[in-house]
Amino acid sequence: MQKLALPESVLMEVSKPERYIGHEINSVVKDKSIVDIRFAMCFPDVYEIGMSHLGIAILYDMFNSFEDTWCERVYSPWPDLDKKMRELGIPLFTLESQEPVKNLDFLGITIQYEMVYTNILQVLDLSGIPFCAKDRTWDDPIVIGGGPCTYNPEPLADFFDIFYIGEGETEYRELLDIYKECRRNNVSREEFLHKAATLPGLYVPMMLDVEYKEDGTIKDFVPKYPDVPKTVKKELVRNLDDTYYPEKPVIPFIKVTQDRVVLEIQRGCIRGCRFCQAGQIYRPVRERSVEYLLDKAHKLLKNTGHEEITLSSLSSSDYSRLDELLNELIKECNEKKVNIALPSLRIDQFSLDVMNKIQDIKKSSLTFAPEAGSQRMRDIINKGLTEEDIVNGSRLAFLGGWTKVKLYFMLGLPFETDEDIKGIADLSNLVAATFYDTVPKEKRVNGHVQIVTSTSFFVPKPFTPFQWAKMDSTQDFIDKAYKTKQFIMGELNQKHIKYNWHEADVSLLEGVFARGDRKLCKVLLTAYKKGCFFDAWSEFYDNEKWLEAFKEENVSIDFYTTRERADDEVFPWDYIDCGVNKSHLLREWHKAQAGEVTKNCKVQCAGCGSARFDCGICVNR
Amino acid sequence: MKIRVKFSKVGVLKYIGHLDLMRYFQKAFRRTDIKVKYSGGFSPHMIMSFAQALGVGVESLGEYFDVEIEDGQDVSLMKDKLNAEMAEGIEVLNVTVLPEKALNAMASVAASDYEISFTDGVNPVTESMIQRFKEAKEVLYTKKTKSGETTFNIKEFVFDVQCTKEGVFMKVDSSSAGNLKPRFLIESLLKQEDICVDDHPFHILRKELYLRTPNGDLEPLDHA
Ligand code: SF4
Ligand code: SF4
Repeated sequence: MQKLALPESVLMEVSKPERYIGHEINSVVKDKSIVDIRFAMCFPDVYEIGMSHLGIAILYDMFNSFEDTWCERVYSPWPDLDKKMRELGIPLFTLESQEPVKNLDFLGITIQYEMVYTNILQVLDLSGIPFCAKDRTWDDPIVIGGGPCTYNPEPLADFFDIFYIGEGETEYRELLDIYKECRRNNVSREEFLHKAATLPGLYVPMMLDVEYKEDGTIKDFVPKYPDVPKTVKKELVRNLDDTYYPEKPVIPFIKVTQDRVVLEIQRGCIRGCRFCQAGQIYRPVRERSVEYLLDKAHKLLKNTGHEEITLSSLSSSDYSRLDELLNELIKECNEKKVNIALPSLRIDQFSLDVMNKIQDIKKSSLTFAPEAGSQRMRDIINKGLTEEDIVNGSRLAFLGGWTKVKLYFMLGLPFETDEDIKGIADLSNLVAATFYDTVPKEKRVNGHVQIVTSTSFFVPKPFTPFQWAKMDSTQDFIDKAYKTKQFIMGELNQKHIKYNWHEADVSLLEGVFARGDRKLCKVLLTAYKKGCFFDAWSEFYDNEKWLEAFKEENVSIDFYTTRERADDEVFPWDYIDCGVNKSHLLREWHKAQAGEVTKNCKVQCAGCGSARFDCGICVNR
Repeated sequence: MKIRVKFSKVGVLKYIGHLDLMRYFQKAFRRTDIKVKYSGGFSPHMIMSFAQALGVGVESLGEYFDVEIEDGQDVSLMKDKLNAEMAEGIEVLNVTVLPEKALNAMASVAASDYEISFTDGVNPVTESMIQRFKEAKEVLYTKKTKSGETTFNIKEFVFDVQCTKEGVFMKVDSSSAGNLKPRFLIESLLKQEDICVDDHPFHILRKELYLRTPNGDLEPLDHA
């Protein structure tokens, strides 16, 4: 008998009921009476986004490959359903069994961006799980967090029992075994958490006290028990050809953001752009072999019936056997009438040839992410993309028939001057001018070139050389966006340059939580109680409520954003060891100030500290 | 060649919308070894045509679509091949080869059978309502449209109506020109005794879709 947690009257009233009914092809249903552990895996955003996340698909596959474990999925109910559930007292449920989350042993939450923090509180709230870990009993699931934001989990410290630092494939089995043993022996929840805190990669906030200095910065971290380590080392998979990868991922009924096969070709990035957290925390770069990937691509296309496949990685152009992989993939995909959606590649003759084969040039656009307008600023951020690269790349593309170019920049980078901002306009103009220089009038496909220049606001992130940087205020951001616009209007080709910029308010909040500490837990809770959630969705984001929450809790925003940080400040996340040493990051911060660049891992090892993982680029150079 | 696929859609899958159902079948075909024909261009797609969109929340035992496939394949195996790829609630009931000159599924639809059952288990429609409806010369129904209201004689679109234990059975016009929503008929029946349809929520089960043969008979859509 098919079971649903929501009554028909509710399903017929909410938007997209398919988000809540489960029963998708390849979803895993087990007999709950014979499994020992029930794990709810949650992406705290709407179904279409959560279902597009590869990391969850990998862990879902891994957990369900354990015979004693049943892993199910949970997503944030959209506000329309949220309201109904509260009115009718319906608790949050998992999609597979349609049972209350609270009945399960674990609630795993992946934390991909700061703007889902309030959604995590929504999930706990609707599940009937106490917000604060210290108030929970064995009647509540163990709440465990993972994902990039756990590299500074402190703003969420009160709400989680455990954080898993690093890649999930390695340490969960051991945690589940300890859990089983503890439940069998009837030990207390606290004792279980104590044991968990001694496992590699696992951080239990309750087991680590934080001492502050008078100025509000951190003095020290003090483990509660002598066997709890003072540093938590990130976990990682050394050999990506020998690990879990779902061959039969769940196929959603509704169109999700990634309605395609996703092939993760590598993890990590050889480049050390100084603003970029992903470039640091996933080090060292580890590639999957072409053979492995082609085998997976074949099986995945067969098992899903998807009509599109895409490659996923931080910087696909750096994958060492990219041409081999793409050529083989194009062959297979042509046969099967499958589209290839290319990630943005470095624009050169090779990538243009590939694009030519698989896309309609008239519709597709080129993407460059110089991130900064001037060479001086690109040196500061260590972005190894030069004006020459961009001009040469665009020239080739224009000759090949392309007419649309997207350019991505950041505003508010450290040491930025008006000259650097003007550089954004100048570079946009230069690309436009290159079009008119390159393509003779009679050959211009759409008559003219279309440049879309976008800027986002720079948010300093933990475990980057810019973790010491002061962030701009909202007013600075708005002024800089205005300046950019003015500069662009002053360019010769301004008619063909469209300028977009991001919201400044959200960036500010992101900045607070990115480098936040435990004092922010209460602000989060207050904001949530005022009605903040789905903050990543501009239609629900309410800046006023957030400002009120900070005020009521007497927490200063500037302390986290615009404050200058000394070289020797202890950061809230310093008890985490991501592999890259703080001394390396500091060296990079100083080099940024001096405008010196650092070579990428392929050219020369910068001795970042990740070599101790003994894998990937650090050993195969 | 073209095949016509008959399928059912019941249970929790009644919440799947029409476009998603199309994508669902496209993906299902791609998981089988059935060779489907594709359109050309940079993003080739299957040439598929559904008889009629089924509303979200409506169940059916008689849905149809046509799809063009490469010649020379054994059609008798296709039902089983497709059923191996179905989610619980959707079942392929029949796969037939369409004659050369057959109208496509959408253009063929002439009528539908519906079984209406009231959610609370009590049937507010009585035999006498049906009788009165049948005996009336005409029953006017006023429908709200984008441009105002239109009034028509609903009887012209009703080929059969009967009272059942749980509700009503009806055979009504489903052609593109005169598609009648089951709700309109229920509303008309109840209104005769001043009962408001909104007070009696009901389920809809479509049982069959019909085409009209050259001699005017109604035949299930897979008898093309
Ligand atoms: S290329 Fe730079 S920005 Fe991109 S992932 Fe690598 S380090 Fe980050
Ligand atoms: S140790 Fe060297 S090669 Fe390895 S990730 Fe760090 S800089 Fe790159």
